Amino acid sequence: VRAAIVLAGLAVGVLAYRVQEHDLGTTHARAFATVAVGWAFLVAGLVAWSRRPGNRMGPLMVATALALLARQLRYSHDQVAFTTFFALGELGYALVAHVTLAYPTGVVRDRAERWFLGVAYTVALAFPLAILAFYDGTERLRYFDPRPRDSALLLHSDAPLARTLQDVYAVTAYGVLSATFIVLVVRKWLRATPRARRMMAPLLLAAAVAALRAVFDSVLTFATPPPVFVYDKLFWWQTAALIALPLALLAGLLKSRLAQASIGDLVVRLERAPPDRIREELAAALGDPSLEIALWLPERREFVDERGRAVALPYEDSSRAVTKLEHEGEPLAALVHDAELVEEPELLSAAAAAARLALENARLHVELRAQLEKVKESRARIVAAADEERRRIERDLHDGLQQQLVALGIELASERRRLSNRIDPDVDHVLEDAAAGIKRAVGDLRELARGIHPVLLSEGGLAAALEALAARAPVSVSVDATAERFPPAVEAAAYFVACEALTNVAKHASATEATIRAHRRNGALVVEIADDGVGGARLDGGGLSGLVDRVEAHGGRLRVESRDGNGTRVIGEIPCAS
Amino acid sequence: MVTVVIVDDHPGFRDTARRMLERDGFAVVGEAADGASGLTLARELDPDVILLDVALPDGSGFDVAERLRVEGPDVVLVSTRERADLGPRLDSAPALGFIQKDDLTSDAIRSLLQQKR
Repeated sequence: VRAAIVLAGLAVGVLAYRVQEHDLGTTHARAFATVAVGWAFLVAGLVAWSRRPGNRMGPLMVATALALLARQLRYSHDQVAFTTFFALGELGYALVAHVTLAYPTGVVRDRAERWFLGVAYTVALAFPLAILAFYDGTERLRYFDPRPRDSALLLHSDAPLARTLQDVYAVTAYGVLSATFIVLVVRKWLRATPRARRMMAPLLLAAAVAALRAVFDSVLTFATPPPVFVYDKLFWWQTAALIALPLALLAGLLKSRLAQASIGDLVVRLERAPPDRIREELAAALGDPSLEIALWLPERREFVDERGRAVALPYEDSSRAVTKLEHEGEPLAALVHDAELVEEPELLSAAAAAARLALENARLHVELRAQLEKVKESRARIVAAADEERRRIERDLHDGLQQQLVALGIELASERRRLSNRIDPDVDHVLEDAAAGIKRAVGDLRELARGIHPVLLSEGGLAAALEALAARAPVSVSVDATAERFPPAVEAAAYFVACEALTNVAKHASATEATIRAHRRNGALVVEIADDGVGGARLDGGGLSGLVDRVEAHGGRLRVESRDGNGTRVIGEIPCAS
Repeated sequence: MVTVVIVDDHPGFRDTARRMLERDGFAVVGEAADGASGLTLARELDPDVILLDVALPDGSGFDVAERLRVEGPDVVLVSTRERADLGPRLDSAPALGFIQKDDLTSDAIRSLLQQKR
């Protein structure tokens, strides 16, 4: 196809040159310059087409090139060639406007611009046809050599009307439409982001062309013909600008980030990137350091960041834009980026395609993390609920059974004293045994309640509870604990670690002494129980393994350092906020 | 006769303690189930001794003892818990002494009163 286009472009160019030189009688230089404008569009269009295949600018520029070259064939003395290309030739200028307004995406989206182009195409087609309908070949045509042409479409011979139509066309197309085009170009430039403005030089060039054209034709239409050198200067300026325009359009297209970004590289890099690096890789590939990624969590029906925190997508404005990505009809993610990237939709879609798999992975990662967080929270809640339950049981034992037994004991002892000299010694002995039994039961109950929940821990704090624990231990235990209070769950975890460790010291360590330390270190309550016993303790058996869950439920960890003959050190670290 | 006010939220304990004390020659002039009414009673009745539970529904018996420190009656703290389970506050409390409830006898109270003299 492209070879055919090149051949057609060359052929039409040569023909156009011949027609201008032979039939219109222009100079070689002018004829060649006009052809050069077409060829410049052709070359630039073909390069753009091959380098940016997904962009419609290339085909649009090629069409403009062919239309501009073919336009010159209207000067032919041949009736069919004249009629055909007089009717269609003006489309070339409408295409120049089209290609300029479509830059850099190749698509015109703005309503005003679409309206303008609609009017421009209509005017460029309707007026020449109308002129051909009334032009009877008795007068010289505007912009033509003195020799009249033959219209194959003549309907009614009316030379004055044909002349008026030519004047009106010159004013409408070259005057009014050119001026409107300049306004639209300036408007487009003003609306662009600062970075995009730098790439919009072609637009200003196009505006200059249009302005020159407007001046040129207004002068021809309304003023007495100025000296020849004025036409000459205007012609050359305009031609130079028209040759520069496609080249500038091409330069702008190739300078764009798509040409520079290597999407292939992105695919490879994203494959190796951990989920939290996807943003940086995409940002680098798109050339937009401000890029943000929002992942869609279907379960929560909201967008979240890489850490699973809910994010609100910003309103699109002149600086920020949002591109939503989908997968199999379901939302996947949204890219929040610099608004100017919207002008490079191919780049965005290529990067998005490359990132799709990585984004899906990132979403799974976030979902997994959220679920893990939930599990952690529920584990902490379970431990807290169990602690609360232990407190309740301790209170119930204390307020119920223990109080009743105590009252019974007092009653019994008091009765015994009252009846002391009137009672049978055997009965008194039974009563004494009963009182002692009640006292033992109260003591046992007290021990049981303390094991379930040490009330001193909640009322006096960790240091007091550890002191009491040490005082009851069968070996000598020194305590060095902070007086600071911590959340109940944290204090309970630390206390039970110490409690279990001391039980082990008493049972297995053959130690003579032990120490308990409890202090805040790096945002955690660290409790450490050391003894000088035989060592060899392990975490995976006995009561300590049960405490691993309790400590880990608060995001902490429990470890044992114990070598044979070197004593044992149990260390629990329980994170505590603030 | 030594006058006593009992402050304890367990009615069973109050009954038993009252019977025992009255049998042993004390005059129990009032009972209260919580700290606030205990304080009111202590001010109204001005007893010689207050038998005060450490754990009360509206706060700690230590706080009540603290408020009775000046010119108040002698405070005897009682609890079903052991001394060791009550922590350092017990040692610094402005009280005549502490008796574990299952060790409570009129003699134990008398001996505390005698120690004071």
